[in-house]
Amino acid sequence: MPASSESITLAGDLHARPAGALSVAAGRFAAAVSVTVDGKTVDAKSVLGVMGLGATSGQQVTVSADGPDAEEAVAALIAIIGEATRVGG
Amino acid sequence: MSDEAPRVGIVLVSHSVRLAEGAADLAGQVSGGTVRVLAAGGTEDGELGTSAEKVARAVASAEAGAGVLVLPDLGSAVLTVRAMLEDMPGARVVLADAPFVEGAVAATVTAAAGADLKAVATAAEEAWHARKL
Repeated sequence: MPASSESITLAGDLHARPAGALSVAAGRFAAAVSVTVDGKTVDAKSVLGVMGLGATSGQQVTVSADGPDAEEAVAALIAIIGEATRVGG
Repeated sequence: MSDEAPRVGIVLVSHSVRLAEGAADLAGQVSGGTVRVLAAGGTEDGELGTSAEKVARAVASAEAGAGVLVLPDLGSAVLTVRAMLEDMPGARVVLADAPFVEGAVAATVTAAAGADLKAVATAAEEAWHARKL
């Protein structure tokens, strides 16, 4: 199964709404998707897990996926993190 | 899983009108507003308590074709929900044993992603394990 991974630096804190947008998007992919911040890794499909990361502006976030649509999942989630943390919430 | 597919609906049963409405507002906003999240808080006249009729109306409004997950705030709301379910045989309704706010948010986000009723119920119940710190 293809695996994919990419990192992005947060432009804002990962608050409730961006975390929700991230998990809703992750849940639409078949691939297993995880998010890692500061050595802590959580299931991207678990919004409570993503919120529990407490990720803040300037931190590096790594999105990793493993499964048939891994590449698309990583691209979509990186785009959402980039977009969502700019508007805050 | 297309965006047009019906989503699992969520009903939040609280002893307080405002607690149910606030939790529904929060869960709806975090999940992007694509899921029917209905508040069923308080008695018929808005006092603290629960109402089987309010819950039944909320369940009917939340049903979009994929079933409904009901989350009670405290144990005693379970009695009201169970009584209501007995009067709705055949309804695709699952009662979740989950923390109210975390369960509501986790269930609604999972429903927004297009998950089925069983997966939405599991997401709510897994909220027991989510730590804030």
